Amino acid sequence: MWNQTSGISPEVYLKDMPMTPAIEMKGITKFFTSTHVRANDHVDFSVEHGEVHALVGENGAGKTTLMSILYGLVKPDEGEIVIDGGKVRIGHPDDAIKNGIGMVHQHFKLIPSFTVAQNIQLGIEPDPFLNPQKENELVAELANKYNLPVDPAARIRDLPVGMQQRVEILKILQRHAKILVLDEPTAVLTPQEVNELITVIRGLSKLGYTIIFITHKLIEVMSVADRVSVMRGGKMVGTKKVSETSIPDLARMMVGREVLLRVKKKEIQRGEVVLETRDISVSDVNGLAAISHVTFNVHKGEIVAIAGVSGNGQTELVEAISGMLSLDGGEILFKGKPIDQASVGERRDMGMAHIPEDRMVVGLNLQTTLDENLIVSRYNHSEFSRYGFLLMKTISDFAEKVVHAFSISAARPGEGISMLSGGNLQKVVVGRELSGNPSFIIANQPTRGLDVGSIEFVHKTLIEERDKGAGVLLVSVELDEVLALSDRILVLYRGKIQGELETATATEEQVGILMAGGTLEDLKAERREDEQGKWEVRS
Amino acid sequence: MNSVRFRKILDAILVPLLAVLSGLVVMGILILFLKKPLFESYAILFSNGFGCQAYGNCIFITALERATPLILTGLSAVVAFRSGMFSIGQEGQYLVGAATAAWLGYAIHLPPVLHPLVLILAAMLVGAGYGWIPGILKVKLGVNELLATIMLNSIAALVVEYLVQFPMRAEKSTTAHSPVIDESAQLLAFLPGSKWGVGFVIAVLAVILVYIYLWRTKSGYEQRMAGQSKKFALFGGIRSDSAAVRAMLISGALSGLAGAIEVMGVHRRIMTGFSVGLGFDGLTTAILGQVHPIGVFIVAILFSGLKLGAQIGLQLKLDIPRELGGTIIGFIILFVAAGKLYEENIVRARDWLLSRRGSKLKGESQ
Repeated sequence: MWNQTSGISPEVYLKDMPMTPAIEMKGITKFFTSTHVRANDHVDFSVEHGEVHALVGENGAGKTTLMSILYGLVKPDEGEIVIDGGKVRIGHPDDAIKNGIGMVHQHFKLIPSFTVAQNIQLGIEPDPFLNPQKENELVAELANKYNLPVDPAARIRDLPVGMQQRVEILKILQRHAKILVLDEPTAVLTPQEVNELITVIRGLSKLGYTIIFITHKLIEVMSVADRVSVMRGGKMVGTKKVSETSIPDLARMMVGREVLLRVKKKEIQRGEVVLETRDISVSDVNGLAAISHVTFNVHKGEIVAIAGVSGNGQTELVEAISGMLSLDGGEILFKGKPIDQASVGERRDMGMAHIPEDRMVVGLNLQTTLDENLIVSRYNHSEFSRYGFLLMKTISDFAEKVVHAFSISAARPGEGISMLSGGNLQKVVVGRELSGNPSFIIANQPTRGLDVGSIEFVHKTLIEERDKGAGVLLVSVELDEVLALSDRILVLYRGKIQGELETATATEEQVGILMAGGTLEDLKAERREDEQGKWEVRS
Repeated sequence: MNSVRFRKILDAILVPLLAVLSGLVVMGILILFLKKPLFESYAILFSNGFGCQAYGNCIFITALERATPLILTGLSAVVAFRSGMFSIGQEGQYLVGAATAAWLGYAIHLPPVLHPLVLILAAMLVGAGYGWIPGILKVKLGVNELLATIMLNSIAALVVEYLVQFPMRAEKSTTAHSPVIDESAQLLAFLPGSKWGVGFVIAVLAVILVYIYLWRTKSGYEQRMAGQSKKFALFGGIRSDSAAVRAMLISGALSGLAGAIEVMGVHRRIMTGFSVGLGFDGLTTAILGQVHPIGVFIVAILFSGLKLGAQIGLQLKLDIPRELGGTIIGFIILFVAAGKLYEENIVRARDWLLSRRGSKLKGESQ
């Protein structure tokens, strides 16, 4: 009964595949009056039957708005939607579902305390007197049919994110969707889960499903999509076959100019030591040892990267250096002076800047204005206050200057910042931290969640600071970023320095084995075994 | 840029205004149930809350007089809330401030001008000290300021009651009250027969000073940032602990000042049952006034007028029980608490208007 309610099954539908596109969106325009943003400006978008179509663009390019219009979450001001050659009106997600469109949102819409089967059948239960046995069987059958194995009786809250996403996909398949819209599906997944998802997408595409895949990671586009459409600033820039394009090409279309995917840097000019930690230990919020006996230093004019899998003590290390957490043992020297007793403010006054990992909660106060966010580290200085009063005019001029210098296009002095995109918010943080001419910068995951253009900006800025003679401590879990930016790499593993490498001679393999808790000797031993193996085969 | 600011201010005014209107509609329904004349009730509500029959016979003046302590306790709550301290200790601070002023008003004798000044300063100091207790408890021991201030309110109420009943009780007083304070310590009234006077001017000054303090000084900036995001404050190098304690000191001083003015300008002594929930009304005023000094000022006057009109006017003229007046005020507070309802609808209505205007403009250009 459950699979006969409405619609045609995609297998049938594949046989007489019409020549018309699966979806055609024509002249879609949407203006948000509350934010004064033209999110979509006469956008044309067309998707063929059975293809995997990637929709890319920087944050705020209008991808999500376009898909929300397709799914009936947002009403367009102008434009029309044509499905299978017939014009349709989609005013509500129900209309979209009736037209065979299903959407997997970035933040899953599942009930954590319900089982997989209950979530999949929520609202379309096959039996008015819930029969768990039957529900589970039906879901198992469904999972089997699409080769998406999942335990129907498991509770959502016990499942890893990748599995939850699979439940979302099954949920929309159950509702007879022929067109699947996946909104940034890989943002929340681990690398292994990404690979699994790509396999799933390919499988569904073979079965005749049409898939729209929203992302800003170009590498994924190249590995999964048939065609790709690029949006920029609310407009459609163009659609290309993936086989006829390249990552630099797409990056240029997304950003509107040539993008350096790997920023060039000058020969290192290593100066004196600016920061030194001696045998420091730090506990986390629960009182457990997060950093134990860590000793290292950062010179002026160099970028030292702290590499490692997230959760190995990076946050605590950074907070201890910036003064937000106190030390259990050891000492920290800044410009040769011990600063264990110095407050955050005193350390900042000495020339320390900090780009924190969490810009929404730690690095910025989204409830207040741009101006007040920009002065938090220096409101005390005579440039911004006198006799206890804030110099409003100076502060507003300063905000204006930062907005220009860091081209934070959407931000205006005196106004709030909560509507800004992630990239612009990070520019506000970077602008504030660097406008005080710091001699030492802590950059903790400075490009997390940013798009290509913003990543390039942050990388360029950090390298400029290094070339100007500042010491930079870069904390990153992205191996690419570590190798591209740093001069020296320290690998953090379970709160200890697992190894130190010069970036110039380091290999991805070496960093990888240290990140996993191995040693360089292990790597050599492995190689030797390999060599021996070869030898034995040869002899 | 200006239009955004204008819109924000408009929103801040529209929400409480619509809430008051909704409360009045509910009042109409209740009045119809009681089979009383509807329009006459509204007329009486306003003329007895905000009306002016003749020079010197203004109920509005009484509303201003009643608003004075509300403005100050409201400001007290604003300073605490803006700094992230959910203190409801205004009642207790108000009482200890009042008791201090009442005692010094008859216990010491000083020339005019100096005498009230000393009383005011002393009351503010004692109020600040009473606010400091929950502040320091929160910062040093992590004691929830809400619970601490509730308990301190009870303690203050009982201690002041004891003082009024025994050590400070005036001779031959049947209902317990303290001796009348010296003439030199009393605050001047502007009009004969009314008690609206210097106290109100002090309250207006306080509104301006609190605004400047919170939005134009370093200390105010520290307090607001610490109040909005502790993590952001820590990250930026703001000491949120001292900001919180400072907020409680200022908050306490403002409530203490309210108590002093009520004693020196209105009652001229302290008596049993001195506080008729003025501290709590201040809290409500702060919330209705969007936790903003100007908002507090407007709402305090509105609130006092409505109270006069609903609780006294309606009872005298139409025999509508004063409890109903209280009910109307209760409804208004309820509607403001549900302010989201209005906010969303205001945004929706504005979007609709703008999109209409937008399409009209487009039509003209074509």
